[in-house]
Amino acid sequence: MSSIQINNVTKRFGEFTAVSDLSIDIEDGEFVALLGPSGCGKTTTMNMIAGLEEATEGEILFNGQDLSHTPIQQRNIGFVFQNYAIFTHMTVYKNLSYGLEVNNVPKDQITSRVAAMAKRMNLTHCLDAPAASLSVNEMQKLAIGRSAIAEPRIFLLDEPLSNLDAGFRAYMRSELKVLQREFGQTMIYVTHDQIEAMSLADKIAIIDQGKLMQYGSPLEVYNNPCNRFVANFVGSPKINLLDGQIKGANGSTKLITQGGAEVALQGKISSDFAKLKSSKGGSIGIRPQDIYFGEKRASDDIQLHGYVEELERVGPKRLVHLQVHRTQIVAEDERDALSIGDEVEFFLTADKCMAFDLDSGDRLTGGAA
Amino acid sequence: MTELSSNTSASLASNVGEKRGYWSRVGRDGRKLGKWFVAPTVALLIFIVIFPLLMQLYLSFTWWTPLDGVPWYQAYESFNWGENYLILAYDPAFWAALWRTAMIMLVAVPAQFFLGLGLAYLFIDKFPGRKVFYSIVLTPMMVVPAVVGLMFFLLFQGTGPVNDSLGLPASFSWLTDPNRALISVIIADTWQWTPLMFLILLAGMLGVPSDQLLAARLLGGSNWQNFYKIILPRMKSVIAIAIVLRLVECFKIFDLIFIMTSGGPGVATETISLFLYKKTFADLDWAYVGAVGLAVLIVLSLIAAFGLSRVAKNKG
Repeated sequence: MSSIQINNVTKRFGEFTAVSDLSIDIEDGEFVALLGPSGCGKTTTMNMIAGLEEATEGEILFNGQDLSHTPIQQRNIGFVFQNYAIFTHMTVYKNLSYGLEVNNVPKDQITSRVAAMAKRMNLTHCLDAPAASLSVNEMQKLAIGRSAIAEPRIFLLDEPLSNLDAGFRAYMRSELKVLQREFGQTMIYVTHDQIEAMSLADKIAIIDQGKLMQYGSPLEVYNNPCNRFVANFVGSPKINLLDGQIKGANGSTKLITQGGAEVALQGKISSDFAKLKSSKGGSIGIRPQDIYFGEKRASDDIQLHGYVEELERVGPKRLVHLQVHRTQIVAEDERDALSIGDEVEFFLTADKCMAFDLDSGDRLTGGAA
Repeated sequence: MTELSSNTSASLASNVGEKRGYWSRVGRDGRKLGKWFVAPTVALLIFIVIFPLLMQLYLSFTWWTPLDGVPWYQAYESFNWGENYLILAYDPAFWAALWRTAMIMLVAVPAQFFLGLGLAYLFIDKFPGRKVFYSIVLTPMMVVPAVVGLMFFLLFQGTGPVNDSLGLPASFSWLTDPNRALISVIIADTWQWTPLMFLILLAGMLGVPSDQLLAARLLGGSNWQNFYKIILPRMKSVIAIAIVLRLVECFKIFDLIFIMTSGGPGVATETISLFLYKKTFADLDWAYVGAVGLAVLIVLSLIAAFGLSRVAKNKG
């Protein structure tokens, strides 16, 4: 078990900067997800923590200790590969015992620890089977068990669920959470799937183009994204982003979309945009569940008019795709009363609206409303 | 499994065939058509493999030699009920040649294997100049064996560079000393054929999934443990193929020795191939050569069958 401090770490491959000036503090026993689109540098970050890559600049501390000159073999880091890297020429037993055998653990201890881990992972029935004969789901469990058995100081998982079928993935997600609690281990989890990150992690580090965008609890990241990228990346269904030019001054601010729709802004959101400096314009972010139909509920809520382009059923809910002057807005339809082609009035809940600078992507907050 | 699927696809093809025209009929008749396609190759094989083999078998049961003045197909006139094989069993020259061949195989092939394995391990990771070294290491394999023979013939002369660099007197002879001549041949063969071992073993080593090696390292395995427990077991098939290939090639070694020592001094480096050569062209004892050739064929087949059966086992 170990806490990890990543201090101003940069990794360059030749000209290409994969990770730039990244700093993350991970407390002992925390479950942290590194979340970002493909190629954002999250796997590189993980590899640097594991010692598979060396940081070009900066340092990574384990309990305050720099391990960058410790050979990989002696770091005692559990690592679950995306494709599990099971030793397919060995039996399941041999796979589980490998980490103990190479560390000269006494024979009788190996037997009992392998038995215990096999039981925990539901692999007892196939201990003597060749590992190559396992199903993908069993391989996943074996990969986790093989790393966990040596009681590593930290546990790194590289997109461990991406090869699983949907049903087992959901099961494994909850299983991972249980395992993490049982082992009490610091876990770092790399994923591009924000749902996985949101449901598993204590904290999420969102990375884009090698830079840390935001680091916080799932709720924090969801409710209070610090920029347009995070807002857009986190949440399902996706947040609506209304881009346009901001016109007018205090009191009577307007956002004019490319399609020509004029959105009158009042109150807090209007003063948020007062901070806008870029000439490229601004952007309003609003999550689908914060859009409502029918009567206006608060005076500052933004009123829009559009027609229903598509209806999409997602479980018990229905999503309405609304077209407002060639801009699409997705809303949750609570009343289940709309049909395609309807013209409707709808409202964006004012205190849920977020203002972003379209150029830099930064969140704009105006302080006093 | 494969039988099942081919049956299914055959029945599918025939089902379709009833409905559609030309192409599906070709599919249905594919088997018959295919036989005609392979027929020329089979005919050629019969001509160059089966026929000479049978001819050799036939001659080996006679006393026939080309000096008899009788065409080979009338060799039955001197049929001898397999006496050649009896002679072979008690021919000290044959057994000595076989023993020398075995010596070369048992010393040269393991030497080549371990050298090749070591070299291959050095080449797993990238290092500056890897490509250049790779080409250099492979060069000996590309040289014609006769030229290698000449090279080592010159190197091992009494006043040659080997003695010079080892500070040995010119009277210290390699190729004319009955004990050292075989060693010289083994050294030359190892020089030439270690690269082939290296090449095959490197291919096998690079085929070991790198993430499994990484996983093994992360689990705390030392390089030696990982090599022994992960890399080597995964290379079993490749190793078997490489060794069988080299054993068979070693058994047939000829040109190198012919140039370096011509089997000498005396018969000190006379291997099976040289023994056969002498019997064929010096003694013109072709019937006996037929018997020896078949015996050798059986030995080689046993080596290959044993080695390759392990490959087949590993596959399953």
